[in-house]
Amino acid sequence: MAELKDPLPPVQELGATSGPLKSAAYFIGDRCKEFNEDFMLCKNESRAPEHCLQEGRKVTRCAQEVLTNLRAACAAEFETHWQCLEQNNHYYYKCRREERPLNTCAFTKIGYKKEIPGTTEGQTPIHEVKMPYYRPQQK
Amino acid sequence: MSVPYRQDMPPTGGFEAIRYKRYLPYKGPSGAVIFGAFFLVSAYGLYRVGMGNREKRELLREKQWARIHLVPILMAEADRNLVRREYVALEREKELMKNVKGWQPGGKVYHSDKYIPPSIQI
Repeated sequence: MAELKDPLPPVQELGATSGPLKSAAYFIGDRCKEFNEDFMLCKNESRAPEHCLQEGRKVTRCAQEVLTNLRAACAAEFETHWQCLEQNNHYYYKCRREERPLNTCAFTKIGYKKEIPGTTEGQTPIHEVKMPYYRPQQK
Repeated sequence: MSVPYRQDMPPTGGFEAIRYKRYLPYKGPSGAVIFGAFFLVSAYGLYRVGMGNREKRELLREKQWARIHLVPILMAEADRNLVRREYVALEREKELMKNVKGWQPGGKVYHSDKYIPPSIQI
């Protein structure tokens, strides 16, 4: 069979594993909200994979940008946090000590903030609680 | 020789009190105190359980939203993969069936315009 050419325009795939993705999930959700919602609305129109390729490329490029910025600005904090998630079954509550520096760094340097949608008004978001009930057993 | 008359009186300061009460050793706090303490401890524990449950729900929400934020990326990547696979499968079919007369490559099995994902790995 002859060499086949790629039917799709080139886009760099993320290539990130679950740890970095989960660590950066809220920053991606914060920065790429419009692209993500656009893509999901498009998927709602039709589930055919070729229907939303353009929107999908935008989503991937945006996430790529977030990861690149994060690695450029907060490499050490990012690395520590996602390594912690990898070691701790991907539980956010076991990695608050690693998460806080990452959040402050991302917010001060590149303006990404972690916000959980639908948190009750006036309630401390779960990732900022000082004395949580659920915490890692071994410190 | 006569003894002068003298009325017999209690000793100065009165008699000693008669010890008629039972003197039992102290056996700990009363039932009411124990019950009250038990009640307080239980109430505090239940309060903590309740607050812990609230926190657990928040943790669950945090995890769910993290996954929701990641869905579009993963879906887009899977879509591109599937489009490439469908393209290659079509080319393969064209190549394999080129000698069969009247063969329509990429024909549908379903009588519908709705997209139906392939039921086998292609």
